[in-house]
Amino acid sequence: MLQIVLSSVRHNRGRYISTLLAIITGVAFFSATGIVSDRVTGALEGDAAREYRGVDLAIVPADEAGSLGDTGRTLYLDGSTIRKLAGLPGVSATAGVLTGPASFLDAKGKRFASKATGRLWVDDDELNPLTIDAGRAPTAPTEIAVDRGLAESQHLKLGQQVTVATAAGPQQSTIVGTTSFGSSDAIDEAGTISIPRSRAFTALSDGREQYEAMYLRGSAAQSALVQEAKTAVPSGFKAQTGAAFVADQAESAGELGRYIKRALQAFAILALLVGAFVIYNTFNVIIAQRMRELAVLSAIGATPKQLGRMLRAEGLVVGLVGSITGVLIAIAVTTIAIAGLNAAGVDVPGSGLALNTTNTLGAILLGTSITLLSMLAPARRAGRIEPIEAVRSAAVEPSHVSRRRALIALVLGAVGVLGFLAGSSVEIVGAAAVLLFIAPIVGSPNLVMASTRLFRPLLSRFGLEGRLAVDNVARSPRRTATTANALYVGVFLVTLVTVAGTNLRDFTVEQINKIGSADYVLTSTGATLQPQLLDRYRAIDGVRQVVGFRRSAVTIDGKASALSSGDMKAVGEVANLKTRAGSITGLKDGEIALNPRADHPRVGSTVKVVAQDGTTEELRVGAVLDPESLDTAQIGSVVTPATLERLAGPGGDTVAFLALDDGAGTATNTKIDDLAADRPDVVATEGNSLGRLIGDIFDFMIKAVNGLLMMSVVVALIGIINTLSLSILERRRELGLLRIVGMVDPLVQRMIRLEAVLIAFIGTLTGVGVGLLTGWGAIFAITRLTDANVAFSIPIGLVGVVVVTGAVLGVLASILPARRSTKASVLDALAS
Amino acid sequence: MPTQSAQLDSPRPTTDAQLAARAVSAAKVYGEGDAAVHALRGVTVDFPTSRFTAIMGPSGSGKSTLMQCIAGLDRLTSGQAYIGDTDISGLSKQELTLLRRDRLGFIFQQYNLLPSLTAKENILLPLTLAGKHPDEAWLHEVVKTVGLTGRIDNLPSQLSGGQQQRVAVARALLPRPELIFADEPTGALDTSTGQEILSFMRRAVDERGQTIVMVTHDPHAASYADEVLFLEDGQIVDRMDSPTAERVLDRMKRFEG
Ligand SMILES: Nc1ncnc2c1ncn2[C@@H]1O[C@H](COP(=O)(O)OP(=O)(O)OP(=O)(O)O)[C@@H](O)[C@H]1O
Ligand SMILES: [Mg+2]
Repeated sequence: MLQIVLSSVRHNRGRYISTLLAIITGVAFFSATGIVSDRVTGALEGDAAREYRGVDLAIVPADEAGSLGDTGRTLYLDGSTIRKLAGLPGVSATAGVLTGPASFLDAKGKRFASKATGRLWVDDDELNPLTIDAGRAPTAPTEIAVDRGLAESQHLKLGQQVTVATAAGPQQSTIVGTTSFGSSDAIDEAGTISIPRSRAFTALSDGREQYEAMYLRGSAAQSALVQEAKTAVPSGFKAQTGAAFVADQAESAGELGRYIKRALQAFAILALLVGAFVIYNTFNVIIAQRMRELAVLSAIGATPKQLGRMLRAEGLVVGLVGSITGVLIAIAVTTIAIAGLNAAGVDVPGSGLALNTTNTLGAILLGTSITLLSMLAPARRAGRIEPIEAVRSAAVEPSHVSRRRALIALVLGAVGVLGFLAGSSVEIVGAAAVLLFIAPIVGSPNLVMASTRLFRPLLSRFGLEGRLAVDNVARSPRRTATTANALYVGVFLVTLVTVAGTNLRDFTVEQINKIGSADYVLTSTGATLQPQLLDRYRAIDGVRQVVGFRRSAVTIDGKASALSSGDMKAVGEVANLKTRAGSITGLKDGEIALNPRADHPRVGSTVKVVAQDGTTEELRVGAVLDPESLDTAQIGSVVTPATLERLAGPGGDTVAFLALDDGAGTATNTKIDDLAADRPDVVATEGNSLGRLIGDIFDFMIKAVNGLLMMSVVVALIGIINTLSLSILERRRELGLLRIVGMVDPLVQRMIRLEAVLIAFIGTLTGVGVGLLTGWGAIFAITRLTDANVAFSIPIGLVGVVVVTGAVLGVLASILPARRSTKASVLDALAS
Repeated sequence: MPTQSAQLDSPRPTTDAQLAARAVSAAKVYGEGDAAVHALRGVTVDFPTSRFTAIMGPSGSGKSTLMQCIAGLDRLTSGQAYIGDTDISGLSKQELTLLRRDRLGFIFQQYNLLPSLTAKENILLPLTLAGKHPDEAWLHEVVKTVGLTGRIDNLPSQLSGGQQQRVAVARALLPRPELIFADEPTGALDTSTGQEILSFMRRAVDERGQTIVMVTHDPHAASYADEVLFLEDGQIVDRMDSPTAERVLDRMKRFEG
């Protein structure tokens, strides 16, 4: 029996090609993303685990810092804390972590490697996550080490003199070593400049000995160390065992990789699901073409079960062959790609191929089961064939389309629209979108008939071949429909993502831009903004006002937060600072204007504020700020200068808000940016850059998602090629006859091309139409369910691009079938 | 009575009293109402074992319908059809399939071979479907008698029409069915190839006691049969023993008048 199955697959090789292509494309994509991301993730996780293995106890910030809007709340451990911890019984070595902005200046004073991180060199080998690749560790104040990648990309050599710019200003230094972090070049995204202890505190902080985190090594058990350390850990920090710390590091190192893998594989699965349409169609056509053969089998005694089993076995063979080929191609492609990248100097972390069984078997299982599932229905139908078909004239596919389908589709669509108009929850609206999406698939044969009726007059203008093209498309409406559906899925999603995405982007950006804010924010990390520096900003043409204030990291009721003080009246003039209760200007010593939190503290209640060095003070809430201003995020909470001085000691301004003249042009912006370039610790950000940033994120997401959806469009393209090729095979006699009676080859080819374009148009137009409707419905429902008033507009240009792409796809898909349609000699075409 | 497939291998007695198949008041109506076509109007007929019966009649007279209904390929509207003494009108689809597989053989006008299988695999197909192993000596003999020796590893597309029909005949003969049905088996063949096939069928009846029911339009083909049944408008209107081509032709001419 297996013999019969195998020879049948071999015999129908040509017909199965597209099925194989559809499976291979999806499986290869799925498997390649798995291989690459597992390799990278595995390498990064491995690095973290290896490089931090010497750590027995870690003192780290208690909550994740640094998310968007949490500016200026880096807490530090001071020198006394580290010494207290070092003195604990069982601790044999300590290492502090301190980082700050650092970069290089060239001979003309221009900055390069401007996003690099300056990092305190850890002298204890076992605790230091970095490894010296060449040279030695930096020790003297004028020595530094750079990471391998930075050395390569900036052409830095051992022994070379460079100017290092940090918060402490420019400093001539010698490169004495290059470093690496496990299999990666650097621990920091844009490169690491290692600075010895003898200079680090001046260069990376304000001269005081302080650290962001600490690693300890000891002889006692890790859990015992944690117990002992607890009393010495200041507010805002926590003690972790080395094991827990390493696990956290590995987790966060691999997090992005795992996330990207999941996202990419979701698109691969989508492509495979679109492939399911192609596979379903192919099996249907193959079975229709073999009806007589199947009927003979049934006449001479094959039971429906045997027929079904035989066809399913064919599906299994095709699915397995396709999936295994897909995995092999993925291995080949990733190997070549990684080799190519390495040759081009791009380091892909990790080594070898992460060929784990889960990945490989998962991909094969996925491809095979989708193939099997898509052919279940055709196989069942074939099993039910009447043996009498064997002796009747050629079996034909049903060409009628049932009205019931159209009715069901209309009802589904109507219920969907109703869901958008009246649905009372997000779930109902989601279900409505799904219904609307499914409706055209259910009614697709009817849609095909309607479209051919619509296009017949237009295509008839092309002459006989145009009319024949429409007839051919309408000849087996179900087959055309399935082909168009594969394209519909992709186009629908592209349209929906584009329409809903752009409208939501415009709305969000507009809302953010409505929130007033300072035009520019200057921030110094680890140093102060001296009055002279602020004066230089004031002198810039177009700058109306500059207001500096002091900001300090503290914990308020145990939560890391920022505390600001300064001329709040002046700040209020530049920034959009509002209060919900009380007033800032009326704030008295010992009072706080609190940035509101989830637990809604009231005016009159007290909060506990702990500064870096542990100084603690209970403050009375004198006012509550309104968080609906970007500037509030910059400021944190407000106290009087005297209060801040008691908590954090004396200090200068660290943040300044700039207001520009209304007519200030780009020249002003350039000057502001240039001025900041002299001081690596100073960052100048446009006040309303958040709007632009979020707009950029939206744009990126829309582009990325659409790019990935192209995978499924490619599979749909394979589907069109497939349907045309199969129908040309069937129509060999007919095409031969047409050519005998005088249709010249270019006209035959044009007929095939028109068929392809028509099928592609049906899929594309349905996708665009339903996509737009669903996009509108989603926006309408959002507007209705929330207070947000999102305006809806159709991105006409984009829709145009999609429609034109659909037509181009059709033409592309027709190239091969059209050529094949006239390849056989006329007499061959007539032979049976 | 040879109703068990297990008994097929033993030589079959050739008494006229034994029937391979029969139909009782067989009627078949296609369609309904005004569009109804009465293809068979109460046909009662016996097919004795070890006999070669030909069915003739004008086009549309119901020959194929009669054969298909008796062979279990289609169902009667009313009346009964028997294979041996099994009333097939009462069988389920599955039982019918198994009955065809184990007890019947078919030869079609369009040879109806599986294009992906070699001649040999096609011949073995009914046994493969039944999960049985072929008797090599018998296979060899069948292949030799139909004159396919040396060609059995070819695909159908590499064989001539006559050779393909020989494959179909061999496929029908190999499982030693109780009864072989043939619908215009020589319809698509030239005269001399047709004669070879027919004499081979004749020999299967004479030498092996095979039972064959054949529908044909060709008086010469009918002359190979033991008996000819004449069908007109869904009814049996005449029968002829030991037919010759001339007598059959004469009888047929009367239909046209
Ligand atoms: N599937 C069908 N549906 C409707 N009518 C049918 C069907 N099959 C056969 N008929 C009708 O039944 C009658 C008998 O058909 P049948 O095929 O048995 O004739 P036949 O004697 O075999 O003819 P021929 O010699 O042309 O093969 C004819 O009138 C035919 O039109
Ligand atoms: Mg007939």
